[in-house]
Amino acid sequence: MVTITINNQVVEAEEGSTILDAAKTAGIYIPTLCYHEELSPSGSCRLCTVEVITNGTSQLTSACTYPVEEGLEVRTRSEKILKARRLVTELLLAQRPHSDRIQELAKELGVEKPSFTLKEKECILCELCVRACREIVGVSAISFIAQGIDQDIDEPSVVHSLEKCIGCDSCAYICPTGAIMVEDVGDTRIITAPSGKMEFKLKKCNTCGNYWAPEKQLEYIAKLANLAPETFDNCPNCRD
Amino acid sequence: MSKAIFSSWAGKIVDNRGLDTKKYKEVENLEFPLQYNSYRVKAFMSWDGLVIIDEKINVVDMAYSYLREAQKLSCGECTAGYLGMKVMLDILDRISNGEGKEEDVDFLQWLGNGIKENARCSFCASAVTPVLDAVNYYKEEFLKTMVSKQTTPKSTYITKVSAPCMEACPAHQDVPCYIELIKNYRYKDSLALIRKTNAFPHVCGRACVAFCEDSCRRANLDSPVAIRALKRFAVDYEVSSGAEPKFEKVKKNKQRIAVIGAGPAGLAASYNLALMGYQVTIYDKLPSAGGMALVGIPQYRLPKDVLSRDIDVIKRLGVEFKLNTKIGKDVTLKELSTQGFKAIFIATGAQIGRELGVEVKEEGVVDGVDFLHNVNTGKKVKDKDKVIIIGGGNVAIDCARTCLRLGFKDVTIVYRRSRAEMPGRKEEVEAAEAEGVKITFLATPVKILAKAGKVTGAECIRMELGEPDASGRRRPIPIKGSEFTIETDMIIPAIGEKPDLSFLTKDDKIEIRSDGTIKIEPSNCQTSQPWVFSGGDCATGPATLIEAIAAGNRAAKSIDQYLRLGKIVKSESDIVANLVGNIDLSEQREDVLLAKRLRQSPEELPIKERQGSFSEVEKCLTPEAAAKEAERCLRCYRLMLLAIASES
Repeated sequence: MVTITINNQVVEAEEGSTILDAAKTAGIYIPTLCYHEELSPSGSCRLCTVEVITNGTSQLTSACTYPVEEGLEVRTRSEKILKARRLVTELLLAQRPHSDRIQELAKELGVEKPSFTLKEKECILCELCVRACREIVGVSAISFIAQGIDQDIDEPSVVHSLEKCIGCDSCAYICPTGAIMVEDVGDTRIITAPSGKMEFKLKKCNTCGNYWAPEKQLEYIAKLANLAPETFDNCPNCRD
Repeated sequence: MSKAIFSSWAGKIVDNRGLDTKKYKEVENLEFPLQYNSYRVKAFMSWDGLVIIDEKINVVDMAYSYLREAQKLSCGECTAGYLGMKVMLDILDRISNGEGKEEDVDFLQWLGNGIKENARCSFCASAVTPVLDAVNYYKEEFLKTMVSKQTTPKSTYITKVSAPCMEACPAHQDVPCYIELIKNYRYKDSLALIRKTNAFPHVCGRACVAFCEDSCRRANLDSPVAIRALKRFAVDYEVSSGAEPKFEKVKKNKQRIAVIGAGPAGLAASYNLALMGYQVTIYDKLPSAGGMALVGIPQYRLPKDVLSRDIDVIKRLGVEFKLNTKIGKDVTLKELSTQGFKAIFIATGAQIGRELGVEVKEEGVVDGVDFLHNVNTGKKVKDKDKVIIIGGGNVAIDCARTCLRLGFKDVTIVYRRSRAEMPGRKEEVEAAEAEGVKITFLATPVKILAKAGKVTGAECIRMELGEPDASGRRRPIPIKGSEFTIETDMIIPAIGEKPDLSFLTKDDKIEIRSDGTIKIEPSNCQTSQPWVFSGGDCATGPATLIEAIAAGNRAAKSIDQYLRLGKIVKSESDIVANLVGNIDLSEQREDVLLAKRLRQSPEELPIKERQGSFSEVEKCLTPEAAAKEAERCLRCYRLMLLAIASES
């Protein structure tokens, strides 16, 4: 354990944990958007920004990525922090005004309307889907396309690979802005992602006849868990 | 720089506006020529500030033009940096179109400061710095544009993007981007990017000296990013996934080019020229291609099949290999010309070992490069126990570590300077010592001792360091009366190499410098014969693998221009480099706050398993370690934008 101070309060934190972990344990609230406790942090939304004070001078950093160390001094509430979080919220709100999650954050931080406009884009590049697909599903079907010298792309984006995607819908589930949507129509699952629409054939239950899961996903699970292909002939409700 | 009207470089403000030119305060922290050929610098904008030389320059247009380019480099992975810069650019666009609003200046300051404080990495944080300087110190210009509602006059700009690691790399590889691609698990794309400027990704992933790591700014925080290990990860992924490199199809060009010497420089040039569609034939006197990469790098650092992976790619591009062919004997330059070759690239390297300066007649003295060559081509080299290696460079270290693996019991390096001056790479020196190599510093042999024609030892003399010499290192001076003897069965001098240019004749009319290298124009590799180009060790003296690759790249570009345009032209980026190339890219007035993170090092073969074995020492990073390591990159891209007047 290491001892740190958050808002002048002495907090015991586990070695290797982050400021955000330590604050949570101590019951100190820090707003987050691109963070998920089951996933590795990315530090991309910049909402969880806090002040780290070193030798009397303070600098902002993201609480979700910054590891604790003995004697670390942190502030999670200040004019400077609020200003930074509000700016990020305004940027997100301008980019995706129709997201409930972002509206909720804006309300919480006292942002009413962004003072500028951006062309609306559903995906805010938080990379939650990228991480969930890699770290939870284990498929890595989504990749982040970043900008760089001569990269010859119009803008950064997240791209689904139809070849790798198993149609499991974890990305749609975790997406905070509705940029990835899933819909099952008859025997087809349609996933609408920023990089385009993808269709997956659904498996029909031998007993009740309902279409209950993408065939590709079932094949993936069968292979992963070394199960016989007929394991999924029936849906969970119709299995013994 | 005395002529600047304004400078905010590194946060130090020099403001000469309204002053008589005689009373101008000098900009002391920045020095660059204001003129290059017909190009005159009017203003300079980059990551650490803004410099105005010509008062007529429109700062608003410049700030807009700079941010437009900078925004394209923002990776997109942080809200503050990417979206913040996007909004700033929209505002600047509006202002330069005469549609600015009064509050726009405050907006720019608010956004700029917000990005600076809260961006995830160095790039966006530093990219907005000069824009903020422009808004803060030229506020009236911005306000004037808003009142006049006129579109701002446009200036002519030239730009270049670099980074400390890219600048340090002779081939200027786009390191931050290929690391970013690894971070985003796009290994194939990463390798494809590496291949744009490097014909030898497999070899460099293992054997590059990695100048990039020496200049990595992460060292200020903890330790440099393991760039070479990341490259190795990308190439090894290609092998494990069975992927084939893909290249853009180009229109075949019927013009034929001959390359002499199938070493790294010659092969790199052939690779580039083949990618441009030329018909390339490469000649080498040895039975296999690879040059020094083949015969000069020991297998424990570079297994043979690794080199062939890179060479196979070059073969697949259609380069014709004529091995076992000696230029000057089997075919002359003149004959190549009559055979229809339109340009020649000479890259024959430097492989004759410099002589010791002491008389050598005895058996048991083998030059370092010959020794490595013999070992690598499977010749029997060891029937002894003790060996001394003379020299402190990478060849000397390679020889010493090779000797240990061959089973020599006593391996000693004798070097005339101290550890600090050793040109050999630090990690290599440390690895050699860990494996059991002894180093005698500040000593040099003066006499070879022998019995019945066989070496028995070396008489050495102790040295002390005097004033720095031309190389900048302190000159070693012998200490009188300090002679001592080291017993040995074998001596390997490895004190540098020189080119063998005996294949060139007077009729070839190729100028040779007094140090025995081919005279070239360094920026384009052209020799005194316009259709003949040269580069690599034969033109520079012994250097590194990556310098040879860079020379091959440069030569290919020049040969293409020479054949297509009849002349060699400078690119925008070359012009910027000539003007502001001396600015230290590693300086930055303030940085974002980042936590220390341990450098991920690949596993190594245990020391006790190295004796008697040429198994590769360094392993590959695991995918998890590679991702972690890639995340350590600070992405120190520097966009340099110059407003210029061209007087031609």
